[in-house]
Amino acid sequence: MSQPQVKATKNYAPEPTEEGGVREFLAFVVASETYALPLSCIREIMRVPSVTPVPRAQREVLGIISVRGQVTTLIDLRQRLRVPAGPTSSRTRVLLVDQGDEIMGLLCDRVQQVHRLSEKEVELASVLGADAASYVMGIGRPGQGERKAESTAEERADHDSEDEILILLDPIALLKRQVNHG
Amino acid sequence: MHRVLIIDDSSATRAYVRAALEEMADMQVTEAASGFDALRILPRERFDLLLVDINMPNINGLELISFIRRSETHRDTPLLIISTEASERDRSRAIALGANGYLAKPFTAEALEAAVKSVSKQAV
Amino acid sequence: MVSGKDGERAKEEFLAEAQELIEGLSRGLLELDTGIKQGQRSPDTVNDLFRGVHTLKGLSGMFGFERLGRMSHVLEDMLEDLRLGRVELTQQVLDVLFEGVDNFQRLLGDPAEQASVDVETFSGRVHGLARSKVKQHNILEEFELDASMLGVLTEYEEHRLRTNLEQGLTVYRLRVRLALDVIDTALDSLKERVKNLAEIITYLPSMDGGGGDEIEIEMLLASKKSEAEVRTALGRPDAKLSSVERRKTAAAPKPLTAATPAVTAAAAKESPAAAPAPAAAVVAVKVEAPSAPKKSAAEGGDVSLRSITSVVRVDIRKLDHLMNVVGELGTVRAAVARLVERLRAGAAPALSSEAHRIHRAFQRHLAEVQESVLDIRMVPLSQLFDKVAVVVRQVAREQSKEVKLAVVGAETEVDKLIAEELADPMMHIVRNAIDHGIESTEVRTKNGKPTTGTLTVVAHQKGNHVVIELSDDGRGIDSNVIREAAVRKGVLSEQAASDLTREELLNVIFMPGFSTAREVTDISGRGVGMDVVKTNITRLGGAVDIDSEKGGGTKVTITLPITLAIISALLFEVRGRLFAIPLAVVQEALRMPSQAVRTVDGREVITLRGTTLPLCRLAELFALGPIADDATEHYVIVVSVGNKRLGMCVERLSGQQDIVIKGLGRSLAGTPGISGATDLGDQHLVLVLDAASIIEEVLLPRAGVLAVGVAT
Repeated sequence: MSQPQVKATKNYAPEPTEEGGVREFLAFVVASETYALPLSCIREIMRVPSVTPVPRAQREVLGIISVRGQVTTLIDLRQRLRVPAGPTSSRTRVLLVDQGDEIMGLLCDRVQQVHRLSEKEVELASVLGADAASYVMGIGRPGQGERKAESTAEERADHDSEDEILILLDPIALLKRQVNHG
Repeated sequence: MHRVLIIDDSSATRAYVRAALEEMADMQVTEAASGFDALRILPRERFDLLLVDINMPNINGLELISFIRRSETHRDTPLLIISTEASERDRSRAIALGANGYLAKPFTAEALEAAVKSVSKQAV
Repeated sequence: MVSGKDGERAKEEFLAEAQELIEGLSRGLLELDTGIKQGQRSPDTVNDLFRGVHTLKGLSGMFGFERLGRMSHVLEDMLEDLRLGRVELTQQVLDVLFEGVDNFQRLLGDPAEQASVDVETFSGRVHGLARSKVKQHNILEEFELDASMLGVLTEYEEHRLRTNLEQGLTVYRLRVRLALDVIDTALDSLKERVKNLAEIITYLPSMDGGGGDEIEIEMLLASKKSEAEVRTALGRPDAKLSSVERRKTAAAPKPLTAATPAVTAAAAKESPAAAPAPAAAVVAVKVEAPSAPKKSAAEGGDVSLRSITSVVRVDIRKLDHLMNVVGELGTVRAAVARLVERLRAGAAPALSSEAHRIHRAFQRHLAEVQESVLDIRMVPLSQLFDKVAVVVRQVAREQSKEVKLAVVGAETEVDKLIAEELADPMMHIVRNAIDHGIESTEVRTKNGKPTTGTLTVVAHQKGNHVVIELSDDGRGIDSNVIREAAVRKGVLSEQAASDLTREELLNVIFMPGFSTAREVTDISGRGVGMDVVKTNITRLGGAVDIDSEKGGGTKVTITLPITLAIISALLFEVRGRLFAIPLAVVQEALRMPSQAVRTVDGREVITLRGTTLPLCRLAELFALGPIADDATEHYVIVVSVGNKRLGMCVERLSGQQDIVIKGLGRSLAGTPGISGATDLGDQHLVLVLDAASIIEEVLLPRAGVLAVGVAT
């Protein structure tokens, strides 16, 4: 039985929402990699509340949690991203993400920071080849924009190994799979 | 402060007019959902502008205009009628009865603004 | 375009109003349809339809719904011609109007639906309908009508006045004084009284009403009856009634264009007991407001929503929020109850009894609020049944069959959400009934049945549920045909199919894969099969059953909970986890030592008071972990839905509680056996089980009706 939840908004889009093609992303860590989601789709970050498991739901569904009275599905990002399981810590958090039809919770190991990425700092997923997972939107390299502008080719080559990269995720592709099984 | 009374039986139209007018400066909008509502509201308050829909059930806009123009308080208040382009005959009757202008539905917010400004100047 | 929050609100108002307008149009068309069959023309209804479409046109333009605006314009022209008498109302015209309204609905739907509407083709068809010339003679000049009064009539009102005079009716002027505060209801009651004798052409507020609270209203009425009869019907001695006379001398009119005057020879003008022009002083009478019109008890609760100003449109999301808050308050109340208990056990008995009193009062008021909020969400099924009537008419005409729809219990109420979710399944069932159930007139006559097939819809409340039965007197379903079809489509093996009873075979209709692709034709072009119907209804916590005999008609029974919101539930534990199940489906709960369990045909059962009760071990069904081998006692919760029963084996019972069931998100909506979750306080969620789905899953695997499981 489905009751309408407070309607999630659909206004997140892969297009730049700010001037000059700069978009904000929230970075977080799962296993040892850093991922990021567009800030506009993140509704809230919370500590892990009490989770009620749901029998016979998909494996990645840890269960349901109550967010101010709303029943919200909690997804284990490690499983969704096919990364090995690991322990939770005091820094484990739940990201509440608006995927268009529904707000869902994603469990991650650690939340990092917000990065503002210009177009130069984002490489689209096509660079990874045709079999890249559909939920990967691209690769983000924060700070590279300025560096490109200021530095020489050698300096840039030096920085390559140090650069932080963010695996940019598409929330809709990441979560839509869950919708309406059965 | 301009006090405006919109008399129209469509709540969506009233909401639209309110939204459009409140974007202009200094507008205070009151809504009447029927001729009867208007009859109740008009004697109690003084308005600077009246917007009247012609095609209402029971008391139609023409009857309302005739009534308004015979009343003390609003005999000379600028009055704009809202009508459809098709009803030429109704429109000319309204003007004959004392309306200062008309706005054809559907109208844009800009058209509303222009009409309001012109009518307010007219009836000074 | 207006923008910002106000603009958004305006747009939402538009969508809600547009939807209401379309529903009103549908009802109006159905009235016209009935009217035509009885040889009546209903000018009021046509006028209402015109106004509705006219309003829709204006609104569409303002809010940028361009195609809807064009579509409205086309229909508006048509209705204008109809109301001004330029076009005759025929079945063909009515068909076009129905199609137009259906197009409106689509244009407000999702992009696929919108794309399915072809405005140009439709427009061409409308313009192809024949029109006659407009009559020119101005009969109005022959009567004593004030120029000032004529001057404030709209074109339509003038037309009605003219038509009535041409048809020889008498036009009356009625003047009455009314208190402004109650003017709507007072006029409504007046209208009620003269409804059957006269047509009200217009209302004119008059200045002579004096100031302040009262106003004089002058009305123009047209009637065949005498003045005395009208006066009696009005029942208002204070009202001034006079008839409008022909002018004694021929007034010098403006030059007439040559045309034949259309005065009906047969209609004789009643000679009125003419009263002279009303005297100056009019006695003021206070009108007491009549009580708000109640919906009539039986079918035909023909309440026109427009005249009830006491109705308010509420955004259902606000109600959901309110329900959430009420739910949280419930949790607080439970905490207060526990506090009261502790006080009682402690050192302050005096305080405790006062606390207890306060708690009781809190509980009472909370229950009232709960009930009120639930009540607001309730809508009568008539809204839904109106739509059914339109579909019946449409499908019957498509197939050239004669079908009559009988509705009983339209005033039965359900939660608005349930009513909305029911729409698609019901349309499909109705379509099936006419498509496959009702035979053509030839076949029916040959079999000695009345040529008009009957589709009966009966709705009634049964405890916490609403039961809707749709039956037809058509050809019924031959279970052998189903058996063959199931095997042919690979839904069942030959062996499995031959084992099934008639009842089990009928249920095969609900299996996915049984409904064929050709049933994609539907109201909105979406493919809907009986399997989807069943899924939708089950998802609401309901059940659907079908019964049929070859040659004996078919009956589909839908059982639904009345409200989704607050219910009484039984809490229990399995493997240390707490679950809840609605008390409404629980027959009883008992202790059962494990030795009493027998195995019959691969299934565990026990004997309960002489009858066999199949069992289900929830821990196994939910794959919750290994069975403890020292468990020698279980509790068994006996649940029943429809006529099926099941005993669920659980470990502990944990009491009863009123809970608010919240749906799981769409991501989990398909999880079998679970209908939602509830918050018991401290933000701990407990899953609420779906008895109907569990019963099905356990009891009918032979017929293959497995809930769609999700692999872990």
